[in-house]
Amino acid sequence: MGGPVAAGSLSDAPARERCRTGIEGLDNILEGGIPKGNTVLVAGSVGTGKTTLTLEFLIRGAEVGERSLFLSVTEATEKLMENMRSFEFFSPALIASGQLTLIDVPVLYAKLGLTQEELGIDEIDALLQTIERLLEETHAQRVVIDSITSLGYRMRREERIRDFMLRLSQMLAHHGCTTLLVSEIGPLPGRYSLHGVEEVVVDGVVLLGNARRQGDILRVLQVIKMRGTSHSRAQYVVEMTPIGLLLAPHLKGDRVEEG
Amino acid sequence: MVREADLGEKLRGLTSGAAVALRLDPQNYADNYLLALTAAIRDVGADPNTHTIFVSVTNPASLVWTIAQALDIAPERISFVDAISHIMMEFRNPLPNATYLESPRMLENMMLRVEYLLRKHDKQRNLVIVDSVNSLAIHNPAPLLSEFFHIFINNLKARHVLAILLASADETTNTVDQILSLVVDETIDVRVEGDEL
Ligand SMILES: Nc1ncnc2c1ncn2[C@@H]1O[C@H](COP(=O)(O)OP(=O)(O)OP(=O)(O)O)[C@@H](O)[C@H]1O
Ligand SMILES: [Mg+2]
Repeated sequence: MGGPVAAGSLSDAPARERCRTGIEGLDNILEGGIPKGNTVLVAGSVGTGKTTLTLEFLIRGAEVGERSLFLSVTEATEKLMENMRSFEFFSPALIASGQLTLIDVPVLYAKLGLTQEELGIDEIDALLQTIERLLEETHAQRVVIDSITSLGYRMRREERIRDFMLRLSQMLAHHGCTTLLVSEIGPLPGRYSLHGVEEVVVDGVVLLGNARRQGDILRVLQVIKMRGTSHSRAQYVVEMTPIGLLLAPHLKGDRVEEG
Repeated sequence: MVREADLGEKLRGLTSGAAVALRLDPQNYADNYLLALTAAIRDVGADPNTHTIFVSVTNPASLVWTIAQALDIAPERISFVDAISHIMMEFRNPLPNATYLESPRMLENMMLRVEYLLRKHDKQRNLVIVDSVNSLAIHNPAPLLSEFFHIFINNLKARHVLAILLASADETTNTVDQILSLVVDETIDVRVEGDEL
């Protein structure tokens, strides 16, 4: 009766079901995984491991029976196949059985006749419908788009990109997909997407980058935001191995924290 | 101070998950180094249920591998994480059982390469040898190194891995002493018998 609110009441909400990424270090940071149905931006500058991380997310999902779909805008799927063959946890049977599907988006563009440089409202509609059809056909539970930046380029205007992003994430949520959208950014801190609208729409942001220690460069990962979970915002050092990404806390030593 | 057979026996008697420091006497350093490697690599590593992971910061993996071969160790029984060859520009003939770090300052990656090798060689009783704490201290500031060893050794303990840290007694600076006192269960002084003046 008008008593003080229990301190723990905020966290008493029922825990959302998790999509275990299968990358152990990341699942530990996220207290079990990404809340199911979330759309997460995986942002990073060139060569920081965005494709490697998102491929592992899909393969780990496919391994445990979740249908997985990779929409590749920037790299030919044969190149991706080559990358995956270096993973000890990848088996080509996952693709043969339809558990994991790789789609070349440029091929989709061609099929849709989207040959012009700039995509207008009608073309964006057609693209969204095609993606939705793919979601229905594959019954995808895990989706990756590599990259959302490249898709955005051809939409040119910010309001078109924003509208596309909103409709895309609603559609993915409606289909119950847990999604990673790759965002290509410059090496400077502060922004998580090129167009500036992507990070606002998504439920989470995972940042990949480089940290310097004297002359050496360490690959690092940081969870910037993740709706529906309390998570560490600490930086982790990433090691790419044939058994997948391994994470260790970025040692502080005498490092001064930014911000 | 220690005889070869005694040191091997002593190390073999350690429980999994223990962390020990071998402090090598600077007099006849080469002999003491050989004694320590023989006891660690051959006497402990000889158990068929053991895989040895050797972290090279003092000497390139190729040199330690030459010693290991002289001790009749098969290549599949030992792996190297080499953090020194790159900066010493001694990188002409990479070993198939070694992985090379760009520098001894990439401590997190050193930890993760060891982690990777431990997962690959999932034996009952694995062994990690770090050669040496002093060399790491040359390349890294003390707070960073303490934090590294704290996390690294705790991880090894949690995995029931035996950790043997080599250190040199003469250069044993404050940093090295503090780190050792923080993380090891026992320090063994290594000096080949019969070298007293
Ligand atoms: N198993 C591995 N071991 C070591 N390095 C690796 C491994 N797998 C990939 N790499 C390296 O990591 C780099 C980055 O990989 P990845 O393609 O995932 O990054 P990205 O962020 O998608 O890059 P881009 O911006 O070009 O799309 C590659 O240059 C590759 O050489
Ligand atoms: Mg990429």
